[in-house]
Amino acid sequence: MPIHQISGCIGCESCIKSCPTDVIKLDKKTQKAVIAYPEDCQICHLCRLYCPVGAITITPEKSIPVMVSWR
Amino acid sequence: MSDKNQDKHGVSRRQFMGITGGVMGAALGAYALGSHFFDQPPEVNHRTLESSRFTTENQTTDVLVIGGGMAGLFAAVKAHDAGARVTMVSKGRLGSSGLTPFAKGIFSYNPKTSKMTIDDFVKQVSESSLNTNNPVFTRQLAEHSQDRVNELKSWGFFDSPLYNESFMRPINERQIPLHERIMITQLVKQDGRVVGASGFSLDEPKIIHFHAKTVVLCTGSGGFKPNGFPVCDLTHDGSIMAYKIGAKITGKEWNDGHPGSAKNSGSSYDNWHGQVEEKPSVTGVEVHHDLGMDLNYQAYRLGGPVKMVPPGAGDNPDLTGGPFIPEKFKRAGGPPPQPQSNGLRGLFQKNQHQGPPGMGGEQVGGSSAGMAIHKSEGLVPINETGLSTIPGLYAAGDALGSHMVGGIYTQIGSSLAGSAVQGAIAGEAAAIQSQQLSSLPISAENQQSNEQYILAPLARERGYSPAWVTQVLQGIMIPNFVLYIKKERMLQAALAYIEELRDHHVPMLKAEDLHKLRIAHETENMIITAEMKLKASIMRKESRCSHYRLDYPEVDRKNWDAWLNIWQDEQGNMQFEKQPFSLWPHFVSA
Repeated sequence: MPIHQISGCIGCESCIKSCPTDVIKLDKKTQKAVIAYPEDCQICHLCRLYCPVGAITITPEKSIPVMVSWR
Repeated sequence: MSDKNQDKHGVSRRQFMGITGGVMGAALGAYALGSHFFDQPPEVNHRTLESSRFTTENQTTDVLVIGGGMAGLFAAVKAHDAGARVTMVSKGRLGSSGLTPFAKGIFSYNPKTSKMTIDDFVKQVSESSLNTNNPVFTRQLAEHSQDRVNELKSWGFFDSPLYNESFMRPINERQIPLHERIMITQLVKQDGRVVGASGFSLDEPKIIHFHAKTVVLCTGSGGFKPNGFPVCDLTHDGSIMAYKIGAKITGKEWNDGHPGSAKNSGSSYDNWHGQVEEKPSVTGVEVHHDLGMDLNYQAYRLGGPVKMVPPGAGDNPDLTGGPFIPEKFKRAGGPPPQPQSNGLRGLFQKNQHQGPPGMGGEQVGGSSAGMAIHKSEGLVPINETGLSTIPGLYAAGDALGSHMVGGIYTQIGSSLAGSAVQGAIAGEAAAIQSQQLSSLPISAENQQSNEQYILAPLARERGYSPAWVTQVLQGIMIPNFVLYIKKERMLQAALAYIEELRDHHVPMLKAEDLHKLRIAHETENMIITAEMKLKASIMRKESRCSHYRLDYPEVDRKNWDAWLNIWQDEQGNMQFEKQPFSLWPHFVSA
């Protein structure tokens, strides 16, 4: 998984706004951020850095093998 | 809209709208006619959002700035300061989208401390880039960079690794309206000039039409959503929108050659060794001939593993041929990089990091696949303000094909500085021009056709997943024997695949929600970009800078001292022309 967990969210939406690839959405019922599209995470960590309460953990692995030019 | 926007599963959308009375009708009509589609889960569009829920909104301004990175920031500020009403719109958050948040070195030419005159700097960039740079923009970078850096300093830019707060400061002070998380999908041309743009919100079902006298595109460049480089929200949107209204586009044959780390190739944070957490700093003059093309060649000829070394260094007796590096810019046998160096390594050593991608450990290729050298691809400028071939439409930063440093990366930190410099100049020029123009609202007919185009993937009952089409695109384009080590037969083969995606799959891209709607439109933009890159690469029958042809390995100064421009003719065909280096900026009147 890329963006892995949001724990202790205060619903400020900073992560939602700061994610360049629109991975995180607000759960309207709980008013907390949820990881909606982890497959589109570019693992840039902006969400974690903008989160004021350190709620976000990220791991470096993509969920599917990635296409590269050579290996 | 063109035939490309017709749904191949039956009547055109325009006809369908007429029959059913709108997009909602289209969706419900298809449901009633073909509910059995829902018995075939893999093919059916499981919408969570109906097109009928969309509202429309209209915004009117003098200057519309599209894009919220470094170029957009300065375009908005300077357009405002020149007396225009300005509106900003961005697909992401100001200072937190595109490549801007990850750029940590900003070039500043200080005439008092620099060891090189501006004339010498421009000359060296031209030598390194084999004259692919446009010296007018190279000089402009040097002349204006220090002023922009000083303004950034006054806004607190250098005090934090995160840029949103410092970017918001001048925008709030000027009370410039800012629309974030809006994807602009179309520019509108009426009466021979640009009159605005249309797009949709990523957060609510809403389409917005921005009516403007002039537009500054600060939409960055893009890639093919590659892995290990933070470019995945940039999909050449600006270039493709401009191309569709007839603007000329350039530089598609160039390649950014950044490799990525073999371990966790998909993580841009880890590839850049956590650089995003560093505060930005200023870089001085140091002209190179960099960016991994020799590495791609080495991997192609010898296979992995490969390690990045300075160009010309680490000569391997088994490796002959390969991209031409001007003798002066080879760094074989040179001293090891010094911690106080102004170059890329110096920047990272100062920050106690291992360096950018490729600086340490085993590498894989294609980290930034689909992106050209910063500032080398994008709208063709017709003068030094970044005015495009469409009246009223300006571009700046990576959206402008200014060829500021040419078809190879020559000056560290020039990208961020160049975006600031070009944004400021384009913003001011767009403001001045807007004062000479009367308002021309986007017509009702154009609004309606834009709405239909935006919502088409949502309205489709069946079709192709944009994520899957993107994966196919990556499989065709990213291998180094297609994009980096080019040859006629393979380029033609790849083109056949891309044309299939363009003709058959783009008209059937489907989306079930706002997120996927964005991806559907991004996918179309990437496919058109792939077509441009392949055709431009086929046409440029020589090798130079970051364009390497295995079948034409030499620099051909006789035939190819020219940029390659692309545009769409009235029949919708992609056209190409050479623009000799010597003809700028007078070619429009020539």
